[in-house]
Amino acid sequence: MANLNVNICGVSFKNPIIAASGTFGFGREFQQIYDISVLGGISTKGITLEPRLGNDTPRIAEGYGVILNAVGLQNPGVDSFLERHLEFLKSKNTVIIANVAGKTLDDYGKICEKLYDKVDMIELNISCPNVKCGGIAFGILPESVEEVTKVAKYASHSTPLIVKLSPNVANIAENALAAESGGADCISLVNTFTGMVIDIYKRKPILANNTGGVSGAGIKPIAVRMVHEVYKAVKVPIIGMGGIQTAEDVIEFMLAGATAVQVGTANFTNSLAMPMIIENLNKWLDANGIKNINELIGKLELN
Amino acid sequence: MKELQLTVLSNQLIAKNIYEMQFALPNDLCIKSGQFLSITTGSKQHLLRRPFAIASIEKDVFSICYQLKGSGTQSLQEVKVGETLNAVLPLGNYFLVDNGYKKVAVIGGGVGIFPLLAFAKEYEKNLQIHSYIGFRSADYRCKVDDFQACTKTTFTTDDGSFGVKGNVIEAFLKDFEKENFDAVYACGPTSMLRALKESFKANSIKIPCFVSLEERMGCGIGACLVCVCKGENADTNFRVCKDGPVFKMDKVVL
Repeated sequence: MANLNVNICGVSFKNPIIAASGTFGFGREFQQIYDISVLGGISTKGITLEPRLGNDTPRIAEGYGVILNAVGLQNPGVDSFLERHLEFLKSKNTVIIANVAGKTLDDYGKICEKLYDKVDMIELNISCPNVKCGGIAFGILPESVEEVTKVAKYASHSTPLIVKLSPNVANIAENALAAESGGADCISLVNTFTGMVIDIYKRKPILANNTGGVSGAGIKPIAVRMVHEVYKAVKVPIIGMGGIQTAEDVIEFMLAGATAVQVGTANFTNSLAMPMIIENLNKWLDANGIKNINELIGKLELN
Repeated sequence: MKELQLTVLSNQLIAKNIYEMQFALPNDLCIKSGQFLSITTGSKQHLLRRPFAIASIEKDVFSICYQLKGSGTQSLQEVKVGETLNAVLPLGNYFLVDNGYKKVAVIGGGVGIFPLLAFAKEYEKNLQIHSYIGFRSADYRCKVDDFQACTKTTFTTDDGSFGVKGNVIEAFLKDFEKENFDAVYACGPTSMLRALKESFKANSIKIPCFVSLEERMGCGIGACLVCVCKGENADTNFRVCKDGPVFKMDKVVL
């Protein structure tokens, strides 16, 4: 058995597999299928200051090897999260990351003030493509990435802050640097790519929101490239994600520079995807004579 | 609910564009009528599993029925007997029957008839059931004998090529006065369910009506909030996969 433990900003993960925000709710449903304590961590459904009902349906569509979602940040609001869901999550032996989204700088500050010290880490969603003011306004220009990061960092006190980047930008490394100079303790990427699927008979987009976030196996090479670009640019640790389905995919992201990864869409394809990836990671490391998974981080050798 | 590999026992055309797929029933799996599964299409191009209502539950075998519609059902149709498909099941709630019910109506249209067949088979000994089953035309008719075996039946088609010409709601309303139903169980296209809801209002029908809803799903288990429907109470969304698929008709916006 190889050592799968990784450390991000002083937070210890028993393995580098984290449930990606929005695919795992607050963990209760998957707990009915397997013990979610096997996971390295859980990034919660995006939480806002006030409850949100989200977009109209259909909220999901599919392309070849990808899916598109436009849920629109349906969530019960931060107060309800703290009252009704946090205790359950804390009862599990896994790292709890609160994913937060806001409409204004003030929202981000207030929500982080409510969550700091209560969760292990806070992940700033400044990249939700499905809500007009769901944070994406802050996620495009480097200046605003830095500004929102500063506000959230101040309000998160000593709770480590992850900034989740949008891939729908001109230069991902610049935005990562902006987050780092705003005080981000960690960068996670990529959020989904904006896309559209059209029903050719109705001549309308399938998603009620017209566009949605593209995720799943098909985006993996783009995500790996972006993780590597960010790895070369920043000093803070990186959580990589985008289309991970297998243990080999995890290795790829770690070689590109990720210290840990998030798994999202694969949970829809197989609800046991994450426990299977963890098991197979162990097997792969053993088979390849690697005793400690940390040996892989950033060990990509460019041609 | 469990994540399982299901072994395909048959995958047969039963009407125009409609297939029935039978599986070996895994041990210790208790499925109630109204519940569904979420199953891979068997093709790696599809990352999303597809939700299908359980159409029959027997001792060692259970089945789903699907209509060829897109590339997902096309992949399913190509699955061979003996292959396995991964699935999570049983999902969602099920049709509730009050102890006091003696006579009920089931109203189904299109592929919505299948969970109602499972319901009729489950309750044939406890309830008098009158089923109103609508097909687009004679080509699409299926499970006719099965419905006849466990319920009193009225079949309708849009063009009159089989059964009564017209729709199932008209047929139900025609009988409603004399039949004294205690409850209604309905499943079909949203347009049909919407018309049913309107007809309840227009005719001041007060008996409980349970509708089984369909929506594009993500996880299928209640985590991703993709498959919501609006509650009549304005600030409520229900998850079709977890809070449903069966809802009291007066609680949801159709």
